[in-house]
Amino acid sequence: MRVRFWGTRGSLPVAMRADTVRDKLVSGVLAASGRRFADRAEAAAFVDDELDFAVRGSFGGASSCVEIEAGDGAFIVCDLGSGLRDFGLDAMRRAGGGHPRRYHIFLSHLHWDHIMGFPFFVPAFDPDATIVIHSGHPDAETALRRQQEEISFPVAFDWLRAKIEFVTLATDVPHIIGGVTVTLLEQYHSHKSYGYRFDAGGKSVVYSTDSEHRSDQMDTEERFEAFFAGADLVVCDTMYSLGDTVSLKQDWGHSSSLVAIDLCRMARAKTLALFHHEPTYSDAQLQTIHAEAISYEALTRGEEAEVAVICAYDGLEVDV
Amino acid sequence: MLWNRHETPGALVGQPQGRVDESNWSVFAAHLATAITDAGGRRFIIDLGGVDYMSSRGLRALSTALAAAKKAGVDMALAAPGPAMSEILAISRYDKLFVVHASVEAALS
Repeated sequence: MRVRFWGTRGSLPVAMRADTVRDKLVSGVLAASGRRFADRAEAAAFVDDELDFAVRGSFGGASSCVEIEAGDGAFIVCDLGSGLRDFGLDAMRRAGGGHPRRYHIFLSHLHWDHIMGFPFFVPAFDPDATIVIHSGHPDAETALRRQQEEISFPVAFDWLRAKIEFVTLATDVPHIIGGVTVTLLEQYHSHKSYGYRFDAGGKSVVYSTDSEHRSDQMDTEERFEAFFAGADLVVCDTMYSLGDTVSLKQDWGHSSSLVAIDLCRMARAKTLALFHHEPTYSDAQLQTIHAEAISYEALTRGEEAEVAVICAYDGLEVDV
Repeated sequence: MLWNRHETPGALVGQPQGRVDESNWSVFAAHLATAITDAGGRRFIIDLGGVDYMSSRGLRALSTALAAAKKAGVDMALAAPGPAMSEILAISRYDKLFVVHASVEAALS
């Protein structure tokens, strides 16, 4: 299985400002002081090997959209955030090369940041495409149609040319979709959210975003440990610090890297991807949060197996 | 995890020892709740000096206890975290939620 992150921000897409680019360039130039590079390849090697990710790159700013390559070759996509636009353009390129024009979409929930990419999803205008939108929510079609009503958007949903179907999935049974076994778990979030587990070819990936793990429901977290059990990769909402989730941002429907790490450890999951990044956080802050999460994992590991902690960014690909 | 406590004229001091993790957080939470009830308006100090580490459920038990303590009029604080616990309190930002004293003596003074 290959997991490709097209959008990793939470709540609101963000764009990099000119002053941020300038700061990164200044840091890079300072790091290169006194160095000479014979050509672009040498300069690129310096950038790749010696600069922090927060300087040489960016975690990106598109909202939730994650592609999973697995199963029978149909596209599998979790959420329709603003990252969907880039996915759609790339999918059209791949479809032009012969990739099946069948899309299985899995919606965690219907909040704006998780559906806002759909009006800009080019494959939705492809008459040869079939798009199946799976959700635990029976009102998914209402949400997608509503955001394309005239008061919000100039292109009506009915003008889309692809064959679009909506399927409401039950949580209590596994579903075979596109050659992949898909299971759902209801999560705590405003209007509910659903986590998805994808199993195929002996590998498993869990997508669990917009999920609050409340202090007064800790005795129910075994549900998540079972859902994450043995997963090769768990993509988790880690938007806030634990302190925030139990104080100012309690009931905002989000979680922390600390809870995600502990759930993954109990589940014996192999890798955790930090996801749904707070939109006000800079690349440097996210890099710090990632380093802190790795430290916490090591401090609390005990005799258990290590959980590798990665920090998802727009454009990241992970093979499991 | 072991739990001991002792009392001074103005405070009740709880002393968890070992790891507070997924296996014992509910026991830890129960000790905290009992101590807050017993503190009866006195200060409640958690001596973290013997804690190897605390995972997220232990931390959430702490913050739940903090809310209960405020409701009961009990002044709750943390004291004497070792290097690992100090780092965990910083990473979790619990050092922003709690008053953290360098030692139990400092907390009591």
